[in-house]
Amino acid sequence: MTAIVETRGAAAIVPQTGAVKLTMLLAGVVILLMMIFGLTMRAAQGGLIQLDPALFYQIMTAHGAGMVGAAGLTGAAILWYFTGRYVELLPGVFWAFLGLFLLGVVLILGAIFVGGYAGAWTFLYPLPAMSGGLWAPGAAIIFLLGYVSIGVGFLLLHLEVGRKLIGAYGGIGGALAWPVAFGNGRPEDAPPATVVAAMASTIFNTLGIVVGAAVLVASIVNLAFPAFAVDALLAKNMIFFFGHVFINAAIYMAVIAVYEIVPEYTGKPWKTTRMFAIAWTVVLLFVLAVYPHHLMQDWAMPVWAVVMGQIVSYFSAIPLIAVTAFSLLVYLRGAKSMRWDLASALLVLGVAGWTAGSVPAVLDGMIVVNKVMHNTQWVPGHFHTYLILGEVAMAFGFMAWLARRGDEGLSGLPGAFFWAYAAGGTGFVVMFLISGAMSIPRRWAVHLPQWHLQAQIASAFAVLIILATAALLLRYLMRVGKG
Amino acid sequence: MQMTVLALSLILMAVIAWAFLSAARAAGTGSIATNTESRRKWLIVGLVVVGVAVTALSLRPWPLAVAATSAVVNVSGGQWYWEIDTDKVPLGQPVAFNVHTVDVNHGFGVMDEAGRMLFQVQAMPGYVNQVEYTFDTPGSYHVVCLEYCGVAHHDMATDFTVASE
Repeated sequence: MTAIVETRGAAAIVPQTGAVKLTMLLAGVVILLMMIFGLTMRAAQGGLIQLDPALFYQIMTAHGAGMVGAAGLTGAAILWYFTGRYVELLPGVFWAFLGLFLLGVVLILGAIFVGGYAGAWTFLYPLPAMSGGLWAPGAAIIFLLGYVSIGVGFLLLHLEVGRKLIGAYGGIGGALAWPVAFGNGRPEDAPPATVVAAMASTIFNTLGIVVGAAVLVASIVNLAFPAFAVDALLAKNMIFFFGHVFINAAIYMAVIAVYEIVPEYTGKPWKTTRMFAIAWTVVLLFVLAVYPHHLMQDWAMPVWAVVMGQIVSYFSAIPLIAVTAFSLLVYLRGAKSMRWDLASALLVLGVAGWTAGSVPAVLDGMIVVNKVMHNTQWVPGHFHTYLILGEVAMAFGFMAWLARRGDEGLSGLPGAFFWAYAAGGTGFVVMFLISGAMSIPRRWAVHLPQWHLQAQIASAFAVLIILATAALLLRYLMRVGKG
Repeated sequence: MQMTVLALSLILMAVIAWAFLSAARAAGTGSIATNTESRRKWLIVGLVVVGVAVTALSLRPWPLAVAATSAVVNVSGGQWYWEIDTDKVPLGQPVAFNVHTVDVNHGFGVMDEAGRMLFQVQAMPGYVNQVEYTFDTPGSYHVVCLEYCGVAHHDMATDFTVASE
């Protein structure tokens, strides 16, 4: 433990604040733009505007890739910032990560809006190579190379975080607090909650990205040399493994902001208890094992895999509900003083939204439900819940904290921004869930007239979220350079 | 089923929202939490018990089973059409749909006349996926595509009829 104490005590260890602030600004702009894309799609589905289907599906592809990418970017920035409180990270690695991310964004946007690529963010094999004349293989290759660029950046970041945590905390097991979870280790000797979360996130996101890289390269080779075929079921498994792990990693990295910032408001540190340590090891395993719940309608899948998908889907919610959410509720109730401002309110909203979103997700992870709900609007209903009201709320909470000034409260404009965001987000996701229960398919450019009203109401809520997000972003922009 | 799932979801989500709003209102009062870890353990036990029960009940009978004696309907999907090899889908007996694709992934989804999704299965290159359903009402049924497959994905639809005899 001596090494740990020395590392923690090193005065030179400070987070890479400037780079992280810039990253959050860029991510915030991308999120706002993607929200506008989302509003555009819902307005088109509601018959409020006319949109050519080819353009709709290009926007849909950009929206999916952009939102997942921005969620990953904000999660990684939070991971990097707070891990930087405990170990000294190489600044150049973060700049390389950000540069590769931006290069990937340029490639992806070029492929979509110049090359016409519209194969969705999931690039489900062999759709990138079979566009029906809508885009050329070259556009698909550029899109996939954009993913490769972003993936390489994430790998660099995670390798740097991983090697530093392993070195400072006595290996992977030490950083995951296994002596406390499964041995006789004392909680007071355990690594901070941030370190445990960072280590687990680094492991599963690295594995997810490596598998994603493999299927990306296979798809690129298929595009360049069509005679090289890939098994469609294998490709589907790899794509959904990568996609599921990546977006979950974004949320699990973002929750580090809750562990680090909420204690500043409640006065109680977020401790690594035995339960916390066990929960994170369980999360590590479950995040890797749950992805077959995306493949329940693929009859060719092994029965055991689909059953595992249902079971792990349900039990994945237990660490979230009984450890993260429960602990936050206990910390809040037990706080002798609590100051509410944009940062604390958005961070608590993030955990609440993430937890609430697990309900429709778990239900959709049941085979009997999935048979009638899969790929209806129920699916964007649940993932928008734990993104808009979960991960993105945590990201904006972190940004508000980065740009905080003195002892501000939640009255006046900040309160209006917060409640507009929460109300707009809630209304928007509820409309998705209602639409899904009414069997309205997802990812349709044109909706039947009887489905217009749902999309129109959702559009109104989307306007509210966009206004709130623009206000949060503007507030951040006006403050962040002056702090 | 869909409306039951919706109602259950909204109720549970409202309970979670209430728990957070309640804790947020209580924050700063320094209320002493008693038996916190005991409550947490009971919460976990409760969630595990519910999970085991729901898992057992929802997987028996196996939801994806296809009986060997079923009537068979062959379905082929392509960008952007469906081909069904019969216009006489029987009523009141299990029907097995053998679904495949000639190009990319598609989703074979069947809706009733009210627009309610009855069942679905993916169509995947190189594989024949099966799904079984017993129609208990004669009439026209609508087939849609539930896996994004390109620019005319939303137009990839057809109908079939379940005869009264």
